[in-house]
Amino acid sequence: MAEDLNWAVGGEAGDGIDSTGKIFAQALSRAGRHVFTSKDFASRIRGGYTAYKIRTSVEQVQSVVDRLDILVALTQRTIDENLDELHEGSAIIYDGERSWEAEIPDEMTAVDVPLKTLAEEAGGAIMRNIVALGAACEITGFDVEYLDEALEKRFGGKGSKIVENNKAAARAGQEYVQENYDLDHLGYNIDTTDNDYVLLNGNEAIGMGAIAAGCRFYAGYPITPATSIMEYLTERIEDYGGHVVQAEDELSAINMSLGAARAGARSMTATSGAGIDLMTETFGLVATSETPLVIADVQRSGPSTGMPTKQEQGDLDMALYAGHGEVPRFVVAPTSITECFWKTVEAFNLAEKYQTPVFLVSDLAMSVTEQTFPPEVFDMDDVEIDRGKLVDEDEVDEWLDAQGHFRAHAVTEDGVSPRAIPGTTDAAHMSTGLEHDELGRRTEEEDERVHQVDKRYRKVETARNEEEWDYREFGNPDADNLVISWGSNEGALIEALDYLEADGIDVRVISVPYIFPRPDLTEEIEAADETIVVECNATGQFADVIEHDVLTRVKRINKYTGVRFKADELADDITDKLSEEVPA
Amino acid sequence: MSSDVRFTDFKSDKQPTWCPGCGDFGTMNGMMKALANTGNDPDNTFVVAGIGCSGKIGTYMHSYALHGVHGRALPVGTGVKMARPDIEVMVAGGDGDGYSIGAGHFVHAVRRNVDMTYVVMDNRIYGLTKGQASPTSRSDFETSTTPEGPKQPPVNPLALAMASGASFIAQSFSSDAMRHAEIIEQAIEHDGFGFVNVFSPCVTFNDVDTYDYFRDSLVDLQEDEDHDPNDYEAAKKVILDSDKEYQGVMYQNENSVPYHEQHGVTEDMSEIPDGAPEDAMDLVREFY
Repeated sequence: MAEDLNWAVGGEAGDGIDSTGKIFAQALSRAGRHVFTSKDFASRIRGGYTAYKIRTSVEQVQSVVDRLDILVALTQRTIDENLDELHEGSAIIYDGERSWEAEIPDEMTAVDVPLKTLAEEAGGAIMRNIVALGAACEITGFDVEYLDEALEKRFGGKGSKIVENNKAAARAGQEYVQENYDLDHLGYNIDTTDNDYVLLNGNEAIGMGAIAAGCRFYAGYPITPATSIMEYLTERIEDYGGHVVQAEDELSAINMSLGAARAGARSMTATSGAGIDLMTETFGLVATSETPLVIADVQRSGPSTGMPTKQEQGDLDMALYAGHGEVPRFVVAPTSITECFWKTVEAFNLAEKYQTPVFLVSDLAMSVTEQTFPPEVFDMDDVEIDRGKLVDEDEVDEWLDAQGHFRAHAVTEDGVSPRAIPGTTDAAHMSTGLEHDELGRRTEEEDERVHQVDKRYRKVETARNEEEWDYREFGNPDADNLVISWGSNEGALIEALDYLEADGIDVRVISVPYIFPRPDLTEEIEAADETIVVECNATGQFADVIEHDVLTRVKRINKYTGVRFKADELADDITDKLSEEVPA
Repeated sequence: MSSDVRFTDFKSDKQPTWCPGCGDFGTMNGMMKALANTGNDPDNTFVVAGIGCSGKIGTYMHSYALHGVHGRALPVGTGVKMARPDIEVMVAGGDGDGYSIGAGHFVHAVRRNVDMTYVVMDNRIYGLTKGQASPTSRSDFETSTTPEGPKQPPVNPLALAMASGASFIAQSFSSDAMRHAEIIEQAIEHDGFGFVNVFSPCVTFNDVDTYDYFRDSLVDLQEDEDHDPNDYEAAKKVILDSDKEYQGVMYQNENSVPYHEQHGVTEDMSEIPDGAPEDAMDLVREFY
């Protein structure tokens, strides 16, 4: 971990913190360094502390740690908020000409750069963050030309003058530090490689997965942290023959998506917890009418309005049980940003093969985190599309009853019925949320009711047998200590393994991307001396289902502060938990 | 389906469970006639309905259909039409469905101007739940939940549509079979959102807004030579006239540009390749 560099920029919301961080992350990615970013932000447009943090290494990085090496502080609060993570070798870049006087702990290196003045000289005060990036390049021995590439990408659309001014601003920052400070003793000298990485976050991966999977229609209502899926699709889906509608509310969003799906389009909506509440009535209709639909829930802290800009994995119970009555559904939960892509593709296939809604459950930490990957991990040639039992005109006859009516809800052995989309000759039929017969017509007849309920659940059984509901595994497969996790905790757990190994603690990690159906972990848990379930919620919703499945008590690590797990912190938590008594 | 579609082709073999004499029989017959007269057949037609007596219509008609949840029929119809611009979409609802629980969707469906037809069976009462006040009930109309009348003015759906920027606003009477079918036909042929509020009397629970009442009071705009539906001011006058009840096309914007033309949503979205789109790697390259 010696190659790690932890960098952050912080200030008030509206100070351009996000774009400053993104530019630096892109520059590092261009230089063939891996990047993992995290964001602290409050639920307001302007004002309030906000920060963008980057951990970078030549190795893959997939977690945040409690350490900051270089901090660009636009406000005193930025320094105060991060005191715990700063250390003796930290350098803090600030603007001493501003009205506040930075209080920097004695043992740290204060790098006072006239950010605003140098920016004005380069063409405008707005570029003071770019001056700071230039200064950061000098401190870390990072070639400023990589920053140039990121600036071209960012500002290329605004004309060469803007790009040149920004480059000049970066150089002004670099030269100022060169001329006024000797920082060799800090020992920062970051290596680069020849690799070309892509840098993206979980929501972008979901949006990209949707287009790759042939999604054509998306309706949504803006809500943190799901909105960027809609923003991603809005800019791109039309190039692929699709369309995005910003609906008037979540009720409308899911109903529009249902309509498009019923009409034959691969269709999706995304929201966060509170929005799922509003969609729940229609969710039952989607399932009962056997309409293929992908519904993404990017979880945030609840309940009610909770903490809209903070991390939590508190919606698992809702994904599993939402809706009145009993409703078959699939619940798929990506465990990393690459999995956000691949599980989205899979969600569309599951939805169409089994004609039922699929919850794609992600979380805030994954949605706002940008991470680098070799582009091959998103190889589009590996995308397979399976539309299930979509019947064309020639196949309709097989599914007509004696009177010539299309049996849209035919009771079949595998529980999956034929699906005809509007325009298919002689297959016109009714779909309804009322209990119905094979033709889709209302019925309250006892046998019909049982046949249809059984049929709908039978497809879950079919899927259980025909699909792979496996898990991802890390650490030592023979270890006596088993840690189970779901969602975005995977990255932190993988890195926690290094800390644990250094302390001589042997751990097997199982990361589960399928919540329903899910892999049977009985053997794995029975083989272990100790099992700990890690999740970002207070009550241990996944631990509950594991205990229910395996009939064994497990230990729990729950974090519900609104902040994701850090690798080093998680290693400590696991060490502590292993020494605790097993619950009765 | 052959090209000579008869309106009975849109009839299912399910017998309606509407009360004998219900206005919804006439409303539905007019919808079927209008669909057939405008060259549609059951295989290219999608009917969406919500909950209530009006919601049953999808069962009694033969076409592709979805019977959804209360108040949300318009968003479903919007989704169908966007995915499949080639499909004729007709949305049916009641006054509760459309102007109470679904009022928000009504406003937004109107302003989106999606090319579909919205037929509201307005009986000014909640029938299926056995006689409570609806948003169009008169302010002194006594019901089980409003023993002294709602004491609040009824919603004027035509004015609500106009305020939301409607491009086609009409009203008809289910018992005036010819006129009703003609008006629905005009709504179908309109390029954009064709809204028709249909007086569809409830013979069981509403003894005020009866067949006789409408027969006696309705003024047909067709007989008013001065009324030009393209004249916004004239339409406003008729729509805001609280002394009279009208039937006919109140307003039609000749320059209406439907949603799919404004937004270029013209592709059949139901067809997709077996794998990712050919140029999908561009999506990845963008993140370099």
